[in-house]
Amino acid sequence: MSKRILLHVGTPKTGTSYLQDVLFQNRSRLLRQGILYPADRFDAHFLAALDLMRLRWGGLERQAVGAWDRLAQQVRDHDGTAIISHEILATASRTQVQRALKSLGHEPGGGGAEVHVIVSVRDLARQIPAEWQENVKHRASFRYGRFLNLIRDPERSHRVGAWFWGAQEIPDILARWGATIPPERIHIVTVPRPGGPREELWRRFSEAFGLDDLGLDLGTERANPSLGVPESSLLRRINKAAARDISPAHYRPLVRELLAHQVLSKRTQSPRLSLPPSDYPWVAELTESWIAELTERGYDVVGDLADLRGDEPVAQGWADPDKPVERQVNMAALDAIRALLLESAERQAEADRLRSKLEDARRELIRARTPRLMRTMEWTVRRLEGSDRGRQALGAYRKVRGRNSLSA
Amino acid sequence: MSRGRAWGWAAALREGSTTRWQEWPADGTGEGDAFRDDLPGAQQLGLLRRLNVAAEGAGRRVPLATADRVLAAGVSGRGRSDLPLIGADEPGRFGARPVDPDALPDDELLRVASALIADDVASTAHDPEERTLVERALGVRRPWVRAFRVVGVQWQAEYARQGLIAQGHRPGGRRPTAYLLADDLATVLAHAWTARSFDQGGTTWGEFLGSSSAFGHLPPRADLARMARSASHKYGAARVTIVLDRAALATELGVRRLQAPPVLGAHAVDLVRRVGEPLGLLVDEADRPRLLRESLGRRLDGLGGPALTVPRPREAWLSAQAERTRHELAAAGYPVLGDLDRLVPGPLPAEPVVPVDAEVLTLALGLLLDPVTATTQEDPTR
Repeated sequence: MSKRILLHVGTPKTGTSYLQDVLFQNRSRLLRQGILYPADRFDAHFLAALDLMRLRWGGLERQAVGAWDRLAQQVRDHDGTAIISHEILATASRTQVQRALKSLGHEPGGGGAEVHVIVSVRDLARQIPAEWQENVKHRASFRYGRFLNLIRDPERSHRVGAWFWGAQEIPDILARWGATIPPERIHIVTVPRPGGPREELWRRFSEAFGLDDLGLDLGTERANPSLGVPESSLLRRINKAAARDISPAHYRPLVRELLAHQVLSKRTQSPRLSLPPSDYPWVAELTESWIAELTERGYDVVGDLADLRGDEPVAQGWADPDKPVERQVNMAALDAIRALLLESAERQAEADRLRSKLEDARRELIRARTPRLMRTMEWTVRRLEGSDRGRQALGAYRKVRGRNSLSA
Repeated sequence: MSRGRAWGWAAALREGSTTRWQEWPADGTGEGDAFRDDLPGAQQLGLLRRLNVAAEGAGRRVPLATADRVLAAGVSGRGRSDLPLIGADEPGRFGARPVDPDALPDDELLRVASALIADDVASTAHDPEERTLVERALGVRRPWVRAFRVVGVQWQAEYARQGLIAQGHRPGGRRPTAYLLADDLATVLAHAWTARSFDQGGTTWGEFLGSSSAFGHLPPRADLARMARSASHKYGAARVTIVLDRAALATELGVRRLQAPPVLGAHAVDLVRRVGEPLGLLVDEADRPRLLRESLGRRLDGLGGPALTVPRPREAWLSAQAERTRHELAAAGYPVLGDLDRLVPGPLPAEPVVPVDAEVLTLALGLLLDPVTATTQEDPTR
């Protein structure tokens, strides 16, 4: 059984993709030092989380059957430290948390595995726009204003509001995950405020996970890039017009990966998405209540809870994604069309190449299936047609047969 | 605020009580002790009370094991997690607000019920039984049976193929004729959504129609002209026959009749759709439709109210698509068994038949009382 389990349960948009990629790329090196990151594919813990919480995810859940139990088994079988990390675990219900902890060998009254819960957090002023954008990158077509209304609904009766707070309300996440875990084993990693040193977040992760001095290769490229205001607006409009016609299997590579990640996120000069200035006061008030609660609970903090106080958005010139500058959207759309044309041309070329190969293979197949006698006759006809005498002989033969078709 | 009162109510529900939470005694007489780690969520408590009401109406009691399953169940899909019970504790400053279980919409209770039924369906999974000698003999294609394939509306075609195989008419053979099963477009759409509910779950009837009608086309599973084109590419245009008269096809194939699919009402299909969602995380993708057909497909045959209909606001889109389909099939010159005019639906009913959560929940409660796993009748007295 693992002696120590580091369970990283969220939150989304806090550098989790980078962390998970470093862990995945370095899993052999980690294992040599007694730390297990049990994953045979980069999204193994995501699939396990889907399985634990019985969540549909655009068809991916089909690959998740039994994934949590397999993950838990690997953790139990390991003698040392094990790390599990996925941000959607933040939304697990109390029942699901109990099941997860039990499957990992945790015993609420002490004994069993030493489970540490780690949650990385970022200020709501950045999380709110980022979460809307994440929705848009997952086929959503509701406007930013509608999203803000949904998350401000105190009943959280809409799935969008329920999901948002399930994944972002830090005191509630830690109440669910930490109900049977001592506060000193609960660690909050704060994302530095905007403008802080780029490596500071990794330094905090490394400290929380005990990864210092392990010689990990940090040069991974996987990230979750953000979009600007016109790009987000464009993507929302594309979803509205076409997402229903595109299966999840095609949406993911074409819209999310190609358009959003590879094309639109490269447009870094456009206005950035941010919290509406009018929403800042309630966000600030809520944040203060969180900081007070988390301080009172006595959790271990890596970084500073003051990082949760986001920057107040500047009212002057605030860019509203529901009323974008159409020229900027048009420019983004041109980039998108260009990328789709190039992709389409590339696919067409590949299809032509494959069609040609298929045709060759079909000819080969016919040839292989054609009797030797027939092949000999065809060879003879070709040879005869190559010389005057041969053609005369063939002509005479066809005349005698009374036919002039090429079938001879 | 009394957690003891909440535990007392939960214990009473476990014993078959049908009393609502707001009517449960608050004078201390209704208090009880905790009988598990955590107080169940409002959805689970609300579902158990509704299950007790349904059982009482049928002169039965909910078995203790079933009651415990309901209280321990999770909530499937996205949306609100386990909700706290109002009045049990001081409202917390964080997390979802406490609720009265009896004020929850049926959809919330169905999220719990669907997860439980999915568990039952998953537990019916078994390795395919080895076919008997007779079944194998019946399954062998006979040389004198004409070469054919059955394509078209998936929900009908699958059952027709099964029936034909059982009668010794295995589809296949050299240069087969592809019989494309068709129907009036409203029925084709309902069958397309039914097949989708068994295969994938997810999309509601309204979303299914809305996503296609908004863009003026048909869902692929209901696009008969597209299916015919696909069949003509595969088998040759001259060997595609449109079937609008199933009896005529039975005669042509030399069988008494074609096997029809189970008749599922609108609410029954919606329940299958809901159960399919959590089931997708319990069994392999390839097994899900088969398990649902063998369990819920059989159990719900003839249940769930009338068949689905297309709501009137979609009438213009529906008739335009039906006309287009008829025109394309006629223009392509496929042979037809029956009359192509049958593709065009008649007037739509003023009151559409669409899934209603309350009716779907009633069906779900029936499946919790008599699970698909039950092989013997429970002792009503426990």
